[in-house]
Amino acid sequence: MGEASLASTIFDRESAVLGRYLLVLSLALLGTGCASKQVVVEGNFPTPLLDPLPVTLGVIYPSAFAQHEFFDEAKGRAESDWLVKTGEAQVQFWDILFSGMFEDVVHIRDWETVQSRGADIDGVIIPAIAELQYTIPTHTNVKVYEIWMRYQFRLVDVSALHQQEDGALSFNPEERLAAWPITAYGKTPTAFLQTDEEAVNLAAVVALRDAGAHFVTTFGANPGVAAWLDGIAARQHNGIGPEPDVEGAEVSPNIARDDAATPETARNGGGSPAEDAAGEAMSSAETSGASS
Amino acid sequence: MSTGIIWHAIKQWVGAGLCALLLGGCVSATVDEMTYNEPVAGIGESSVVILGRRHAPDYDTEFDFIQCIGDHIHSGDPSIDVIGEIAFINEFYPWFEPRTAPMQPETIDRLLQLPPVAERFAAMQLEYMIWIDGNTVDTESAGSMSCGIGPGVAGCFGFGTWGTESEYEATIWDFTDKVEVGRVSAQTSGQNYMPAVIVPIPIIAPVQGTACDSLGDQLLEYLSAHH
Repeated sequence: MGEASLASTIFDRESAVLGRYLLVLSLALLGTGCASKQVVVEGNFPTPLLDPLPVTLGVIYPSAFAQHEFFDEAKGRAESDWLVKTGEAQVQFWDILFSGMFEDVVHIRDWETVQSRGADIDGVIIPAIAELQYTIPTHTNVKVYEIWMRYQFRLVDVSALHQQEDGALSFNPEERLAAWPITAYGKTPTAFLQTDEEAVNLAAVVALRDAGAHFVTTFGANPGVAAWLDGIAARQHNGIGPEPDVEGAEVSPNIARDDAATPETARNGGGSPAEDAAGEAMSSAETSGASS
Repeated sequence: MSTGIIWHAIKQWVGAGLCALLLGGCVSATVDEMTYNEPVAGIGESSVVILGRRHAPDYDTEFDFIQCIGDHIHSGDPSIDVIGEIAFINEFYPWFEPRTAPMQPETIDRLLQLPPVAERFAAMQLEYMIWIDGNTVDTESAGSMSCGIGPGVAGCFGFGTWGTESEYEATIWDFTDKVEVGRVSAQTSGQNYMPAVIVPIPIIAPVQGTACDSLGDQLLEYLSAHH
C-alpha cells in the first residue's frame, strides 16, 4: 500500500513536470506561428566588370534609401509579421556598382562636400526605392520566395543642389537632367534546411544584383543620360571642366536629410510585378524616397 | 483479440516497408545525346564552365546540381579544369545574371566587344561553356501518417509515398567558334517511401543524383580524351 502510494506520488510528480514541459512547448510552438520575422539583408556583392566611364559622379543616398525597410503585417494567425531591412545592403551594393561603373565617385553628405568637390563633379545621382513587393510560399503556394523592387533614379547637375536653412541638401526637381525607373526581381526556390529568413535574404540579394544588371545595361539608353554623357564627352574633348553654380536659393525637396525611413508596407497578392512595372510612374519619390 | 489486430496491422506496415526498401532505390533514367566536333584529344590546358539557366519564372536550375556535374566531370578526368559557377558569374558580373546571360552562342561576340570581359575570358582560356536548364520536382504523393506525443511516449505510424522527377538539358557551346556543338538531356524519375512504425524511415530515390551522374557521364565522354 505504502509502495503503491509512493509510486503514485512519483508518477504524479513526473506527470506534472512533463505537463509543464508540454505546456511550455505548446506555447512556444503557438508563439512561433505569431512571432514577427526580421531580416537584415546581407550579401557579398561583386565589382562589375566594366571599363569605368570617365565621369566624376556625385551620389546622394537619401536617408529613406540608406535606412530602407519594409514592414508587412500578418493577415492572420497562421502568418507572421515581416520586417525586411534592405538599407545597408542597398548602400553597400550601389557603392560597389557605382565605383566600378564610374571613374570617380563622390559621396555627397553635406553642403561642405558640394562646395569642396562641386567643381569636379559631372553630375549627381540620387536613388530612391519607389516600391517593394515580396512573396513567400505561404502566400502563393508556389515553392519560390520572390522580391520585386522598383527604383527611381534621378540625375541632377551639382548646380541644382541647394542648402536649406536647417543645413539639409535639397534640389529643384525642375533642374534634373534625367529621371528613370529601374525594376529588379529576385527569386530563390525553397531548399532543405533553409529558413524563411535566409530565403528572403537570398531573394533580396538576387534582386539587388538584378537591379545592378538592369542599371548597367540601360544607363546610356535614357535620353537625358545620353545627352548628359555627350555633354561630358564634348567638354572633355574641348578641355573644359564643369562650372557649377552652387549658390542657388530656390526651395526644393529635401533629399539628403529627409525624414527617417518609415517602414514601408509591402503589398502581397496584388497585381503581378510585370503589371505593376507597366503602371504609372511614381510621383512621391521626390519627397519620401520610399512609398508603398 | 485487439492485440492480434494491432500485430496484424504492424506486420502489414512492416511488409510494406520492406517492399519499399527493395523498391526504393529504383530510379529510371533516359539520356539523349546529340554532339558534334568532339575534341578527340581532350581540351588540354583549356577550361570549361558549367552554368545553370535561371531565367524561367517558375523554377531555377539548382546551384548544387551544377556543382554536382562539375565535380563528376573533374573526378572522372582531373585534367579537365571546371570553373566554379558562382565564382564565374561573380567575376563576370553583371554579364551572366538571369537578365543578361547570353541565350545564343552568337551573342558572346557582343560581350567580347567589352575589353575587360574579353581580357578575362582570354586569361581563363575558356574552351567550352555548358548551360544546364531544368530542375527536380516532387510529384504526386499518397498515404497517410500520424504522429503522437504523450508522457514518455512519442511515435509515428503510417506510410507515405511520393514521386520525384528530374529533367535537365545541357547545351554545349564551343567558345572558340561561338557555336553550339551538342545537347545532352537526362530525364529521371523515382518513387520515395516513408514507412513509419514508431520512427519514420525515409527511403529516398536518388533521382537528382542519377540525373547528375547520367548527364555528367555524357559530358565527360564528350570532353575527355580518356573516356
